Amino acid sequence: MQKLMINGQEHNLDVADDMPLLWVLRDVMGLTGTKYGCGIAQCGVCTVHLDGQAVRSCVLPVSAVAGRKVTTIEAVGEQAVGQAVQKAWLDHEVVQCGYCQSGQIMSAVALLQEHPKANDEQIVNAMSGNLCRCATYTRIRAAIKSVSQA
Amino acid sequence: MKVFHTALGLVAGLLASTVYASDTPAMSKGEYLTRAADCVACHVVPGGKPYAGGLEFKLPFGSLYSPNITPDKETGIGNWTDDEFVDALQKGVGKDGKHYYPAFPYTSYTQMSREDILAIKGYLFSLEPVKQMPPENKISFPFNQRWGMMFWNAIFASNERFVPDSKQSAEWNRGAYLVQGPGHCGECHTPRNIFQAMSTGNSLAGAELGNWMAYNISSDAKYGIGAWPEDAIVSYLSKGYAAGFGGAGGPMGDAVEHSLRYLDPADLKAIAVYLKSTPARSEGIPRPTMAVNDAALQKGLGQKLFNDTCVACHQIDGSGRQSPAGGLAGLKTVNDPKGRNVMATLLEGHTPTAARVDQRMPDFARSYSDAELAAVSTFVLRRFGQSDGEVKAEDVAKNRASALH
Ligand code: FES
Ligand code: FES
Repeated sequence: MQKLMINGQEHNLDVADDMPLLWVLRDVMGLTGTKYGCGIAQCGVCTVHLDGQAVRSCVLPVSAVAGRKVTTIEAVGEQAVGQAVQKAWLDHEVVQCGYCQSGQIMSAVALLQEHPKANDEQIVNAMSGNLCRCATYTRIRAAIKSVSQA
Repeated sequence: MKVFHTALGLVAGLLASTVYASDTPAMSKGEYLTRAADCVACHVVPGGKPYAGGLEFKLPFGSLYSPNITPDKETGIGNWTDDEFVDALQKGVGKDGKHYYPAFPYTSYTQMSREDILAIKGYLFSLEPVKQMPPENKISFPFNQRWGMMFWNAIFASNERFVPDSKQSAEWNRGAYLVQGPGHCGECHTPRNIFQAMSTGNSLAGAELGNWMAYNISSDAKYGIGAWPEDAIVSYLSKGYAAGFGGAGGPMGDAVEHSLRYLDPADLKAIAVYLKSTPARSEGIPRPTMAVNDAALQKGLGQKLFNDTCVACHQIDGSGRQSPAGGLAGLKTVNDPKGRNVMATLLEGHTPTAARVDQRMPDFARSYSDAELAAVSTFVLRRFGQSDGEVKAEDVAKNRASALH
């Protein structure tokens, strides 16, 4: 039995210790906003927040998050920075196919929570682990900058 | 019938021995010692049957293959008597008086008592026999003259059992026994002299092992493990990492996987206690200070690759994103001016099955060129270490050839 705090709610789930958090979110809880890409921490689509930090849920055993706060794309809009980022994403029409975007937004929000005035270098360092096969990178950067300079 | 008698003898031995008895109830003493001695590390080939041997050892003068030590009568050790088995481990002399080469660490196992050695034999004889002949050794003249080992043994092999030091605690003695005897730590961590024997005046000072560095594990605070808290040593030995101190990769990762993680916490602590009291050797790679160097953040291939491929787990500040095992800051590996273990890890990855999924790392040998791996290794050395190290594309090319398996 795993006691998890996901999006502000406590859940007691009967899942194996080593089940990746991504699997728990998608298959057990039905929170399918977080996507599955590579499964080896290389693409970033599965990014969620663990105590506010962006982590790759595909390589995070559920036992490692016990007692810590997990936030997924479904709830990130409840935070002020999350809201601002989602609005900027719409204003800049960042999304193309959308597959990578929940991960991009989660990484961007974690960055801006830590560095509200993130500069170009900080943006590159924080975002380059998130791949986008539609290559929306320039729009992603513009959207983040619009928030960090606001 | 012989097996039966051996087994009876073993049970008696188990009841009689208290000094070195393990208190892991699930494991017999024989299995525990076989684990502690990490026999399987060499007596198996990747994907092969455990203890059936066949692993190749490339030495400067040819190739050796580990023998089958399952109880098969024809190809294994099924016909060996107790005395023969004890002689093999204590004197390096096999059945029929054949002298072993010291790739087989009898120079360490010799410290083990007859009783402990027979416990190992009992465990091996309880296994399923595997019929498998190891390949013939290919050793060039004059090294193929096994009798020559007699002279070597006379000079370098002590054939002496471990004698507890009465001035030290029971815990210290237990640690010393495990390190010097079954654990055979010095076989990799002690540099060898020109005769390929462990150099006693330099014990545990660190040595090169193929593409890998087996670091200095003497008590020296700067070069060895003297500054590691006991807990960190125990974590390293049982889980394969100690955040901010070290991560067990390559052959050491295997030692954790097949051997050390099975040991009792009390035994691991005893190892820590003993290692922290060994003679300090101030050589090898110093531990870096826990700092990141911002001057290393320069636009270029190294930083680009790190951002593309490594940050997801290691973070640009080297703190490790989701697992403390991903932390790079503070590791000796990032302070080696030649970046040997950085390169080796990039080429071979880190995928012990026992490691939790967030402690594994894929290999990058197939995804990046020599120049790319050299650039990212150099970036890591400059960003997290203080040795101003550099890895060149030629270095990667050389190591790549021996890393791919
Ligand atoms: S699915 Fe987790 S990083 Fe790609
Ligand atoms: S929008 Fe299609 S992968 Fe990023």
